[in-house]
Amino acid sequence: MNMTQEELAEKSGVRRETIVFLEQDKYNPSLKLAHDVAEALKTTIDKLFIF
Amino acid sequence: MELTFKQYNTIRLIVVMILAMIIGNMIVLKNFFIPVILLVVSSLLLIYLKKRVKGVIADERDYALGGKAAFLAIQVYSWVAVAGMFLFWAFSDINPFYKPIAMTLAFSTCILMLLYSVIFRYYNKINFADKKFIYSVFVLALFLAVFLVFSLRLFSREDNWICQNGQWVEHGHPSFPSPTTNCD
Repeated sequence: MNMTQEELAEKSGVRRETIVFLEQDKYNPSLKLAHDVAEALKTTIDKLFIF
Repeated sequence: MELTFKQYNTIRLIVVMILAMIIGNMIVLKNFFIPVILLVVSSLLLIYLKKRVKGVIADERDYALGGKAAFLAIQVYSWVAVAGMFLFWAFSDINPFYKPIAMTLAFSTCILMLLYSVIFRYYNKINFADKKFIYSVFVLALFLAVFLVFSLRLFSREDNWICQNGQWVEHGHPSFPSPTTNCD
């Protein structure tokens, strides 16, 4: 999916820095944020985050 | 009018700098009303501007970091204050002014701990939807309390010069010299 960090942050309701930290695996999101990011990327939590 | 987060931060920085300069000067001039009024006005201005910011100012990561930072800051302050308190108390024989400093450090640590416990319990129990309202009431009450204390301190005649038998006599500990007018 072609989306910038800024766009993803806006859709997920967080700051861009949080998306950067998520990408770098430096932050464990809450269940709500994980859901919001997955929804913004039109995927599911289990596919997006490897548990 | 919409602001970006960067613009808001710049404005906030300028406001804080101006505020620091004015408050510093006013305290030297022993004027406490202007700093209190300025604090209230600038806080309201920043709240208004914050609402005009487009985008997210703080998210869950900021709150999590804020919590950790606050907890660590409280711990560091408490340890330093307690160590400082013992030192000042131990050397209070050398200088009597050390004793009130030690007491201030001790009480401020106790108040900080108490406040932390109360806020922790509040966040632990309160309904999320009610938070904003209760927070607003708390901030308003705090401003009112500060304003009331300053008003009572400045308008009360506890620390003043009173006229007795044709002479100006100290009542309490006035921070200003006796009046130059005749005392009848």
